[in-house]
Amino acid sequence: MLSGRQQVTGNINSFNAWTRYNNIINITAEQDAERDQILQWLSPLEPQQRHEGVRTNRLDCVGNWALETDQFRKWCDVQDGCAELVLFYYGNPGVGKTYIR
Amino acid sequence: MIDNLHDQARGRDIAVVGIYCDFLAQQEQSTTNILGAILKQLANRGGIPEHIRETYRKSKNEFGHRGLRLPDIVEILKETITPLQRIFVCVDALDELTPKHRRELLKSLQEIVRISPNMRILLTGRPHIDDEVMEYFSKAVRMPVSPTQDDIRSYLKMRLGVDTTPKAMDDKLRADIMRIIPEKISEM
Repeated sequence: MLSGRQQVTGNINSFNAWTRYNNIINITAEQDAERDQILQWLSPLEPQQRHEGVRTNRLDCVGNWALETDQFRKWCDVQDGCAELVLFYYGNPGVGKTYIR
Repeated sequence: MIDNLHDQARGRDIAVVGIYCDFLAQQEQSTTNILGAILKQLANRGGIPEHIRETYRKSKNEFGHRGLRLPDIVEILKETITPLQRIFVCVDALDELTPKHRRELLKSLQEIVRISPNMRILLTGRPHIDDEVMEYFSKAVRMPVSPTQDDIRSYLKMRLGVDTTPKAMDDKLRADIMRIIPEKISEM
């Protein structure tokens, strides 16, 4: 930001460019503020953060068997209306339903 | 699993959203908040759809700027999901929600799936919620989860690699661990 300001000081034209630039920033900042408000209004939960944690901690390759089952493939690929819509993976605590670490 | 679905979805009009339920967050993880979090992930993915923006602005002008209620959010979800080619919704540890929220969530998902067959739902949970899941989705495909011998070996290898007392380990002990533990676990 500072280097941007240094570049545009010096002549009137570039000063105008600078104010225009600032206006654009203000408009996008306003839109972004509404965006953030809407996201917060939709839900205070942040499941993506938890997913990042799972992704970082999980052991690669473990659990791949589940992706290779016919049931999983069908669930992913088969046309709407031709496949069961719900898969339920069940097991006791610690068997690796979420992941193994 | 979510990452795998993301890989498949790349470049196509397919959305993947995930929710992790947690005993410790039971108060916060209401049905409304969970369904809201699905919408939030959809909005994060492709920008906020105009109908959501409009509903937000309308609610903002109402007295007290009221929050979203369950029927509102189900309606918004239906509208958001319908144009997608496909959406995968993954709910992990469903058993960790309160029974009330769990039933509400299953019921809402059932209602959404009815008009949006482009939605696929993946649930995980302990065996005791099986009846409840089947009550709402009688045709759900049930899959028992237990780690394979390979999974256990990968895990043991990783743990032995971060052993804090490596001096206590020798080749024989290592070999015994790698052999006996996977055997015992598969007998369980």
